[in-house]
Amino acid sequence: MKMNSRQSVIALCGAVVLASVGCSSMKTPATADVAVSKAAVDNAASAGGAELAPVEMRMAREKMAAANKAMANKDYELASDLANQAQADAKLAQAKAASAKAQAASAALDDDIRILREELQRARK
Amino acid sequence: MKKIIFTPTLLVIAALLTACNSMPTNTSMLDQTRNDYRSAQSNPKVASYAPLEMKQASDAMAKANAAAANNDSTEEIDKLAYLAKQKIALTQEVAKQKSAEADVAKSGTERDKMRLDQRTREADQSRTAANIARGDAAYAQQQTRDAQVRNANLEAQLAELSAKKTERGMVITLGDVLFATDQARLNPEGQRTVQKLAQVLTQNPQRTVLIEGFTDSTGSSAHNQALSERRADSVQLGLLEQGIARNRIAIHGYGEAHPVAGNESTTDRQLNRRVEIVLSEDDGKIRPR
Repeated sequence: MKMNSRQSVIALCGAVVLASVGCSSMKTPATADVAVSKAAVDNAASAGGAELAPVEMRMAREKMAAANKAMANKDYELASDLANQAQADAKLAQAKAASAKAQAASAALDDDIRILREELQRARK
Repeated sequence: MKKIIFTPTLLVIAALLTACNSMPTNTSMLDQTRNDYRSAQSNPKVASYAPLEMKQASDAMAKANAAAANNDSTEEIDKLAYLAKQKIALTQEVAKQKSAEADVAKSGTERDKMRLDQRTREADQSRTAANIARGDAAYAQQQTRDAQVRNANLEAQLAELSAKKTERGMVITLGDVLFATDQARLNPEGQRTVQKLAQVLTQNPQRTVLIEGFTDSTGSSAHNQALSERRADSVQLGLLEQGIARNRIAIHGYGEAHPVAGNESTTDRQLNRRVEIVLSEDDGKIRPR
């Protein structure tokens, strides 16, 4: 099973090529991750995330900023990770905002009903 | 000989790997995420309102668990656990949102129904009020019509009795011809007149009468006084016999006082011998002479 030197050189070259392709191939998905996360952050902001889920919204923005910095530093793996976290934070912020609005609407309606019921009771007397 | 050394080395490495595999790496982030995951799983609202989000959270949780089982670096495990944790939180929020929206839909229907109830009630009330008002008006009209009919009847009856309007009220005069000569007893004609008067009093229960007896100046004044009283009594008796209450009938004898004519001629004296019946208005009061 002993390899000759020629074979070794070919194998090494192949490994180097593969590695370099692997590294540069991280750039495209990282760019996509950052773009998707930015859209998620924007959506969450327009859904009222800043007012209704300030903690998640702040985390999402900080991670987005860090992801952009990593992109600039060509650290694509870190950029991708940060972008994915930012996306999860932003989506949670948006869900919290929507949930807060729905719960407020439900509470307002319950109030309406309570008042109506009281009026009906009074009218019956 | 190389082969002999190689095999135990491989075995040791394999044993080490197995040991590591049986003790998966754990982090506090992963623990927390697993707790969150369990509470999401046991929330019935998640199952009914956020199954899709729960599926994605489960996938993320599985990835983090696999990394832990695979003894990946704590950084890698925490990274995956964090994503799972946020997805689980999202699932809970979506469940809350959908549940609140369902409540809104249900409450909206309930509120609409209650509003309808209230409007129906209001409509019923105003209809009842209108009916009462209409009924009141009809009743008042009926009362007015009844009163008018009664007044018309009364006028006709009084006209039949030749009643005269005076400032003390309507006055009906029973002439001497309605009594037996020099007696208090009413003749049949007089009794008919008294019956008619009784009818008027029955139909107008708020009215009262004052019966006044008079004579001419022939004979002693004591005799005339007594005769005037007896004739007034006689009319009262007639009314009592017709069912008129005693407290509605006042009587007074004036003897030969208050003549309506001279006492010289027979005709005039006959005019003076009379009984006057004063009929009160609705207030039941009669001013005495």
